[in-house]
Amino acid sequence: MSNTPATPASSSKSKATGNSQPPEKRKPLFQKELQHMMYGFGDEPNPLPETVALVEDIVVEYVTDLTHKAQEIGTKRGRLLVDDFLYLIRKDLPKLNRCRELLAMQEELKQARKAFDVDEEKITSLD
Amino acid sequence: MKHSKDPFEAAIEEEEEQDESPPESPGGGGDEEGRIEIDQAPEESERDVGGGVRRQNKKSKTSSSVVVVAEGKNKDEDEEEEEENMETELTKYPTTADPAKMAKMQVILSQFTEDQMSRYESFRRSAFQKGNMRKLLQGVTGSQKISMPVIIVNCGIAKMFVGELVETARVVMGERNDSGPIRPCHIRESYRRLKLEGKVPKRSVPRLFR
Repeated sequence: MSNTPATPASSSKSKATGNSQPPEKRKPLFQKELQHMMYGFGDEPNPLPETVALVEDIVVEYVTDLTHKAQEIGTKRGRLLVDDFLYLIRKDLPKLNRCRELLAMQEELKQARKAFDVDEEKITSLD
Repeated sequence: MKHSKDPFEAAIEEEEEQDESPPESPGGGGDEEGRIEIDQAPEESERDVGGGVRRQNKKSKTSSSVVVVAEGKNKDEDEEEEEENMETELTKYPTTADPAKMAKMQVILSQFTEDQMSRYESFRRSAFQKGNMRKLLQGVTGSQKISMPVIIVNCGIAKMFVGELVETARVVMGERNDSGPIRPCHIRESYRRLKLEGKVPKRSVPRLFR
């Protein structure tokens, strides 16, 4: 396999082949948001770029691993569902509660938007 | 659309504007308030933050109970605005708001220094972009359709994970009597500690050839 040798070679190879394997050097996905987030959690207002890059790598790996595990669970029933993720973080109470909140809020927003649309129809139909 | 207004001011203005502008604005305004928690909103003045939405000290983000309260009040305002403006029969959704906690949060918020307020605002408003998260998830799962709840949950979990990383890194820095911006070595140590605590999912197959 020509992709096995040193990382620089493999990353350039993967770019050439169209990213057939997870590249080490991927475009930074979350840089801007991460800077604000790290400041919010306790870092300096301008975190060091290498720190942000490292945190992004760690977060991407975390999400990837979590999703892989969720998929393993999900394939047993067929699709990837939210419940798989909730099951995986069941031990971590703060995260679990936060996810429940987020989902509940999304439901509420959906209901509110639906009711708003219904109301708009009423208004336009009256005209 | 109003972005940087106090929610109460926004509600009053929406009532006035209702007659002139298309009915999009109440829903839009309501959406904005709600989405602040999830989406990345531009850095705005602190009026929005101080405007009655309760917050918590950024240090204890992992204590979800107060975040629950804050989210509840935000939802509350959404529903209130929409009810006032649209005169629908929206039933009042049960919120997790607790008046005592709300009052406490207001007291704390009012005593924030500017530095604390700006940090708290960053803490509340920062979020991972759903589009990028969706791309990442699609790449990982290989499937095209990722449902919205999955994306939302992942964004939330990732944000809390960043919080744990940064807070643990600060603890590490304190132990080493370091100061200044967080350096990669602190993050690495913090990551190692989180792994020992079991907060990081372990790969069943070790990742080779990175």
